[in-house]
Amino acid sequence: MSDLLSIGASGVRTYQTALSTVADNVANASTAGYTRKTVDIKEVSGATSLQGTLTLNGSVAGGITRAADQYKSADVRQSSADLASTETSVSWLGRIETALSGNQLSTRVTAFFTAGQSLAADPTSTAARSTMLESATSAASALKATGQALDQITSDLDSTGDTAVTSLNGLSASLAKVNDGLSKAAPGSAGAAQLLDQRDSVLEQMSALTDVSVTTDSAGRATVKMGDSTGPTLVTGTSAAVVTYVRNASGNVSYSVHRDAESAIASPTGGALAGIADSAQQIVSARAEINRVATSFTTGVNAVQTQGQTLDGTAGTAMFATGTTPTDISVVLTDPRGIAAASVGGGATDNSNLTALQTARTSGKYESALAALTTSNAATLSARTDVATAQSAIRDSAVAARDSVSGVTLDDEAVDLLKFQQAYQASSRVIQTARDIFQSILDIR
Amino acid sequence: MRIATSTIYTNATNAMSSLQAQADKLSTQISTGSKISKASDDPLASARLALLSQNTADNTVWTANISLAQSLVAQSDSTLDSVQTQMTRAQELAVEANTGTLTDANKQSIATELQGILASLGSLANTKDARGQPLFGGSGSDNAVNVATDGTVSIAATGNPSSIPIGDGSTIQATDSAQQVFGGITTTTGTTSDVFSIVSKLITAVQTGGDIGTAGTDLTAAANQVTNARASLGARGSRLDMEATAMTATATSNEALRSSLQDTDVTTAVSDLQKTMTILSATQASFTKLTSLSLFTYLS
Repeated sequence: MSDLLSIGASGVRTYQTALSTVADNVANASTAGYTRKTVDIKEVSGATSLQGTLTLNGSVAGGITRAADQYKSADVRQSSADLASTETSVSWLGRIETALSGNQLSTRVTAFFTAGQSLAADPTSTAARSTMLESATSAASALKATGQALDQITSDLDSTGDTAVTSLNGLSASLAKVNDGLSKAAPGSAGAAQLLDQRDSVLEQMSALTDVSVTTDSAGRATVKMGDSTGPTLVTGTSAAVVTYVRNASGNVSYSVHRDAESAIASPTGGALAGIADSAQQIVSARAEINRVATSFTTGVNAVQTQGQTLDGTAGTAMFATGTTPTDISVVLTDPRGIAAASVGGGATDNSNLTALQTARTSGKYESALAALTTSNAATLSARTDVATAQSAIRDSAVAARDSVSGVTLDDEAVDLLKFQQAYQASSRVIQTARDIFQSILDIR
Repeated sequence: MRIATSTIYTNATNAMSSLQAQADKLSTQISTGSKISKASDDPLASARLALLSQNTADNTVWTANISLAQSLVAQSDSTLDSVQTQMTRAQELAVEANTGTLTDANKQSIATELQGILASLGSLANTKDARGQPLFGGSGSDNAVNVATDGTVSIAATGNPSSIPIGDGSTIQATDSAQQVFGGITTTTGTTSDVFSIVSKLITAVQTGGDIGTAGTDLTAAANQVTNARASLGARGSRLDMEATAMTATATSNEALRSSLQDTDVTTAVSDLQKTMTILSATQASFTKLTSLSLFTYLS
């Protein structure tokens, strides 16, 4: 009868473990990165006795299985990296858009030239001259403010890039520790399952920063490369790389990966790091175009100014002065009478130099260049926003597909709970029956 | 497919936040009246709006310039009308002076009236325009004519007055210089003279009591010159009227285009907003029902 007792006891032990696994699943139903766990219930293999009759030995909880699907997890990582890259670009392009359109740059440059046209109708009017000088100041300050806004974005991007690589380095170090833990944990143990959950969670966070290619060994230890499988290694075994954010002289951003004594340049194609590098490129080209227009505008207007004659018949002087950057523009002409409306030799009512200004406006195409810059940025932003919407849907479905395997469903857990509770109660009844039977033997007198 | 409990919550959250965002966007479009709040909302329309806004700014200043030019033309016209009145009176006096029965006193009185006419002509020629400049000024800002202490009037303003920009590459000379209006008259002797010299010559002829001779013919030529100048201004006046009409038409069509690109179609937007809010409240209701459904509810 001791067989029956031990079989009952094994059942009680097994279903206790099974019930606590269900409880763990329920408790972690909304925990991010948690993978549903099940207990492998195995029959204890029986031994054949000398008489040849079969002996039964009960059940045992063989180990804990994580309901993980590495391919679905990889899909989630890939789609997260794609989405993070696009969303980062969208966010920075949005800031560039605000910088470019916030100062009404094109409108103010137009106002300057229309003030010139207005002055041409009445070249001796001091009011029209003052208006033109005011609109010159307004255009100059708009160019300056736009330049400063782009510089501010550049410096914000730098600090975001630094923060992103710091996070990535932290995650790499965590993963190396998880790898170390996995080397020591017994396979199938609850500890190993928790470490594997942590590993997947860290990998998912890494993929929001950069696209990664992941391979795992038999113990579940991850080797992570940045980009595709030929990229520089971020983590292998217990060794983690340190990534640094580098901005070169032309303003473009790259990343270098240092591990042990090796260094490599990485160009991630996914994740926030790729979005940051892409945004840096966008900012550099917007800044270059603003600089070009600002230089062309100031030199164009100054050239017209200096070739003409003021209201008092003296030679015209430059209207704009440029500081350290091409957009650091100030208006140096303070006297409205100093606007050179007339050509040399023309009288006070001559406006032919303003016609030259209008010609400079037409050939310089300043306003259309500024509008084109805003529009091209807006078109890129609009296209990226659409891409982000699509990638967001792809990622959501990848997450749903993974969670359909790994996620906890409370209804399933309720069914398991009932099932294991009943099995537990039945096993307890077996023990009681064994006791009763044994008791009836003891009761024989 | 097996649906994880967390997926139910994530999906519902995503759906509701996207509906909220849509409702917010529509509500902003309705309240601002503009369906484009930033360039990336519609890059193509924004590019066209930027061009339109530049056109509108240009047209506004050109329209103002056209108004100014119109007022200058009108002022020139009314001034030349007064000049013509004076010229007509001078012609009448010239005819009267030619009558042989006049006494010296009569001739003297005619000469005095002619001197008055000359002074009026000089003063009319020096009329200031709306800009405070001589109406018949030339390329400089000097007086149109100089009036000497002895009453002699001589033309000072020569050359072309500045043209006023009234369109893209299009300008109009809204006024004429004194030389163009009063000068360049070919006399009977073949020399070139001006209105003031011809009137002065007539005065001298009347004062000396002799035959005024060719002075009357020259005076007619002078009157014709002024008439021609007035006709030329009239032609420019009609061109300005046409330009002004064209500007108004352009402004109207620009505004129609701007409105179609930028303005919210309130009827559609309100209906879309209503639809979005209906879907949102249905989503909220179904979410509440779905999440209250759990097997655990039935375990006791």
